[in-house]
Amino acid sequence: MSSERPPTTGTLDGRTAVVTGAGQGVGEGIARALAAGGANVVVAARRAETGEPVAAAIRARGERAVCIVTDVTSRESMAACVDQTVEQFGALEIMVHNAFRGGTPHRLEELSPELWEQNSRTAVWGSYYSAVLAFPHLRAAGARGRLILITSPSGVEGSVNIPIYSPVKAAQRAMAKSLSREWGEHGITVNCVAPVAETPALVSAFERNPVLKERIEARTSLGRIGDPEHDIGAVTRFLASDDAGYVTGQTIVCDGGSFMGL
Amino acid sequence: MSDPPGGRTLTGRVAVVTGAERPLAAGLAHALRSAGASVAEVPSSELHSRTSAATAFTTAAATLGGPVDIVVHGAVPEIAFEAIDFDQVDDARWDAVWEATMGAAIHALQLGFEQMRGRGGRFVFVTPTVSMSGAARLVPYTTAVEGIRLLAKSAARQWGPDGITVNCLAPAPEHFPIGVASIDVSLAPPALGGPGDAVTDLGPIAVFLAGDASHALTGATLCADGGVWMAP
Repeated sequence: MSSERPPTTGTLDGRTAVVTGAGQGVGEGIARALAAGGANVVVAARRAETGEPVAAAIRARGERAVCIVTDVTSRESMAACVDQTVEQFGALEIMVHNAFRGGTPHRLEELSPELWEQNSRTAVWGSYYSAVLAFPHLRAAGARGRLILITSPSGVEGSVNIPIYSPVKAAQRAMAKSLSREWGEHGITVNCVAPVAETPALVSAFERNPVLKERIEARTSLGRIGDPEHDIGAVTRFLASDDAGYVTGQTIVCDGGSFMGL
Repeated sequence: MSDPPGGRTLTGRVAVVTGAERPLAAGLAHALRSAGASVAEVPSSELHSRTSAATAFTTAAATLGGPVDIVVHGAVPEIAFEAIDFDQVDDARWDAVWEATMGAAIHALQLGFEQMRGRGGRFVFVTPTVSMSGAARLVPYTTAVEGIRLLAKSAARQWGPDGITVNCLAPAPEHFPIGVASIDVSLAPPALGGPGDAVTDLGPIAVFLAGDASHALTGATLCADGGVWMAP
């Protein structure tokens, strides 16, 4: 089929992205990958001690990044992050919500209100704030508008060790589906990435439970655990680009070929 | 209400049906009763706080003559059903839908577990198919329902060794006052002609999930929407 439109190039040149939880792990990898793709990247991190070095490392590669200290569980803090982003870069096309706290192993019958609150506030309220506060700018961006929520294979499979993690990650998937239907008329796409990656959180889980690493690697087709930048960040960059302009409401499970239930 | 087909396979069982102020959950309660269960119908409002939910569960066990064997959870705060543009959703609404819906489900799970521990039991969560299809202007509601669906899977994984099964029954959106029809989110018409009747069509599926016959089924979602949504 012929098209009058120019070919897509996958570039993010001139676009601006916010990545929450970008002070480490998957968020850091995504921030680095989006910057490598040409985007202006806001490293939204809870603590400057983690966020500033990530932004500095990106700038040291000759790319554009700033750190904005952000608490994703606070409407005021998220609003300030979005406002400062637009002030500095003139627009916000790509909102990536990755921040999460609360992966402590637990029994459901003993779930504490505190652990529920950590899970709910970071994953779900954080997604809500990301979406609702970025929306005016994503709508202005039209077909370049992107909301990307970082979920987990556990959000589809359920989890025996961290059971409350699954519902909050599943909630993000449903949010993406409903928002993709609601925002399609503006050209905005809404998708999820469900990664397994070598992050500080996973490394410390391996230290507590050495068998876990073997088990994950053994059930993973590619036999290795993902790299936050080159494996997870690259897929996120694809979703952020024009190349994925016809993909919305989806979850890309990026786990080296382990969970195949979608 | 007419009785559902099937025998009295739940004789002697004690069931709590939450959200029974709504026609679907009331229909499922009727079906469980027709199958022989003693059923306490608990309105959604009583699931809102842990204290009132605990009272409802202990009262059910006391008045029905035994600990609870079956929980059918349909409780949802009324506000959840209101369609609204996402950019009009404020913190108060997000709290009233997301937190309250999840809170009620967690209360039902934990309180049911207290009574089933060491004996086994059955949980059935009512999760309309819109959580899997998504639906415009229903972001808070669909987000919460999918949360419940995965809460059920995690509970199934943890409590399987206790002989407790946790499954979901996914009816068509037409059973809920949300202004969405299956055809709005699927190109396919219902293979069986329509969304079905709460008592005679969905009832037997709830009875199956609540009874001994489903002992080897857990963490599953049975899409009982007349054959529209054929996931997974």
